[in-house]
Parts: sequence; C-alpha cells; structure tokens
Amino acid sequence: MVQSMTTPSGHEPAFCTVVPPHVLDKLAQHGDTALATPARRTLERDALERTRRRLTTVIGAPTVAAPQGAAAGRPHRTVYDAGHQQTLPGKKVRGEGDKPGRDSTVNRAYAGLGATFELYLTAYGRDSIDGNGLPLDASVHFGEDYDNAFWNGEQMVFGDGDGQTFLDFTLPVDVIGHELTHGVTQYTANLAYFGQPGALNESVSDVFGSLIKQYALGQTAAEADWLIGAGLLAPHVTGKALRSMKAPGTAYDDTALGRDPQPGTMDGYVRTSRDNGGVHINSGIPNHAFYLVATALGGNAWERAGQVWYDVLTGGRLKPRATFADFAKLTVAAARARYHEGEEQEAVLKAWEQVGVPTS
Amino acid sequence: MQIRVRRTGGFAGIERRGEVETSGRADAEEWHTLAERALAAGRDTPPIGVPDGFSYEITVNGRTAYCADPRLTEEQRELISRVLKEGA
Repeated sequence: MVQSMTTPSGHEPAFCTVVPPHVLDKLAQHGDTALATPARRTLERDALERTRRRLTTVIGAPTVAAPQGAAAGRPHRTVYDAGHQQTLPGKKVRGEGDKPGRDSTVNRAYAGLGATFELYLTAYGRDSIDGNGLPLDASVHFGEDYDNAFWNGEQMVFGDGDGQTFLDFTLPVDVIGHELTHGVTQYTANLAYFGQPGALNESVSDVFGSLIKQYALGQTAAEADWLIGAGLLAPHVTGKALRSMKAPGTAYDDTALGRDPQPGTMDGYVRTSRDNGGVHINSGIPNHAFYLVATALGGNAWERAGQVWYDVLTGGRLKPRATFADFAKLTVAAARARYHEGEEQEAVLKAWEQVGVPTS
Repeated sequence: MQIRVRRTGGFAGIERRGEVETSGRADAEEWHTLAERALAAGRDTPPIGVPDGFSYEITVNGRTAYCADPRLTEEQRELISRVLKEGA
C-alpha cells in the first residue's frame, strides 16, 4: 500500500504523506531514536519536496542535461508504462529509436512527443522543452479509469480515461502538445497557475497544442478545426471536443458533462475561486484572440501568428503574474518587432479589440 | 457520517462531486477509518498543484481538507475514487 505513493521525483516512494504531519512531528521528538530518526528523515524529505516544487513553480525547472553522446536537435524520448498504478514513472517500455511495440497508447505518446519536439525545433529553433535538449519522458496507463493528463513539472502523465466519458488521453495529439507546452512555459515565462496568468498559461498550452496538430496534419489556419481534445470524448457524449478556440463555449453540451463554460470575450469573463480561478474557463478569451490573428493572416498558423506568440512567451518580458492586457500589449510589440508596422500588427490589435482586451 | 468529495481542475476543467452517507451501511466502519485517515493527511488550504492536475476537497462531517494530484496518500486516493464512483 505504502509503496504506491507517488512523489514528484518519482524514483523514491516514501511513507511521508501516508503518516499525518502532526504524528510525524511527535515521532520526531520521541526519545527512542529508532522511532525519531525515520520520522525526522521523512519530515525533512517532505519539506524538501515541497520546497523543490515551490521553487520549480517560482523560478522555473532546473536544467536537466541531455544524455551523453546525444545529438543536438534530436528528441530523447522515453515512454513508461505506469501499469494502472499511480507511481511514477513506471516501467520503461520504449526508448529513443526503439521500434513501435504492440501498445498503441505507448506508440501514440512516443509519436506525440516527437511531433511536439518537431514543431518547436523547425518552426522556432527550440531544442526541446527547455531549449537545451531536455529528455522527454511520458508515463501512460496512469491509474485506473483515470480521466486526466498532466505535466508534473518533470514529465508527462496520461490516464486511459474511464471509457464512459473520456477515452485514452494520448488520442488527440494536441493534448500531448498542450501538456509539453506547460513544460515550455515553466522554463520560459513561468506564468503563475491561477487567475489571469493561469488562464494565459492554459491558453498558451492550447495555442501550441493546436499548432502541433495543425503542423502534423499540414493544415492551414482555414483548414484547422481549432478544437482542443477532439476525439477524447466517448461516442455517446454530446460534444466534439473539450474546447473550441474558434467558438469558445460550443465544444460540448451534454447531460452528464454539462455545457462548455468558456467565454470568447471579456464580457463573459468568469470570476471564480474554483479551478485555480477558472484557468480552464477564461483561457477561452486569449485562445479566441489567437484564432482571430491566425485566420486574419491566413496560411500556416504556426508561422506568423505562432511566431508572435512564441516571441512573447520566450522574450523575457512576460512576467509570471501577467494579466491579459499585459500579454496583449506584448503581442503588439512582438508583431511590430518582427514584422514592422504591417498586417501582422494590425491583425493583433484587431483581435484583442474584438475579445475586449485593451492594448494601450 | 457524511463524506463529500469535490474534484476540480484537470485538463478538461470539469468539476465532479460525490457524497456518501455512511449511517446504516454495513461497511460504515470501513468508510470511517478511510475517511479519517484521508482527512488527517490533508491540508487546511489547497496545496500548489501541477498544471492540469486535479485538486480535491474532502469534507467529512463538515470538516474540510485539501489535497492534489499527483501527491495523494493511498487512503485519499481510495476514498476519492470510491466517493466519486458510488456517491455520484
């Protein structure tokens, strides 16, 4: 039971949080060192993990070196099978260059990591998540009927879905791109994960998640579906995806799931304490702004529209607590810096105006 | 004993709730042990989670504790999964 505890580092399951902190405090002060020493060690480790995670959130992730002898500009992928447990990372099932196996979930995760790496490298010259060849790790088959995928600060984690509402989270490539982009954000602007900066963090992941799908399919802005999570909902669910960048609020409307709550403009901005201040709700606004820029410019969205967004994310001026307006102003500046005063800047100004975010 | 679980966040951003009333249940004792352990290992305020990670609120007889993926104890995980499944 204790062994299946998960720690962020994933390699050393500890009994730390199984035993309540106040009990550990008491044990650590015990006269018997046989009792006090392990308790003290656990408290220290727990504090260390907490500090480390907080630091990762505050100052970005530490630099992890690429494997020795690894070529620059090539992905270094490893896929693990969590075996329906919640211990990370699980058993290694596919390394870089290994042939596809029989498990299509593993193969999809591996391909999705590759597609994400590919877009960042070819479109923006970025060598992996950290810009320095960071190995890309993913664990699949996490938990039982687990309805989620997330980035834990160090790797990607995918559940299989419950089969009733959600299918396998490796199915849409934009979900894989979305999660890895949380890593890119962590290493660059490091947007806080609450309120408006949190919604920007979510939106940036949707934007690049969608661009990774468009790039992989060779679709122009006009051809793309601009959906996030298409193919993730089980067949009987009334909905086509989880979010729509083209028409926020229209992705699903289902008796069990409810209705897509995303606004597309500031008029519909939702103030809530849930979901870290509605990070998955209000992201609809910057999402829609990006869609408007990309479709106004036409062609491949990852080229000019994506470049402007990428420049803002990585340019060093986007603050961890940036508001929508801060972000919008930086996109105008980035469009001007890269393309001068042309249609790019015009498209950016107009898009933010349409969604109700001020740029001046 | 009334046990309530609220799950928020996640990639989908869709909220889930469940509630189980244990009085009169044959397995009430088992629920009580599980609920007390899950609550004791929780925090008074929501912990900093990870992007897209689920956040949980566990309320037992009006007392609330918080926890978040991927850092749950075995008891929290089991309680959350049972309440969301049986008490949906």
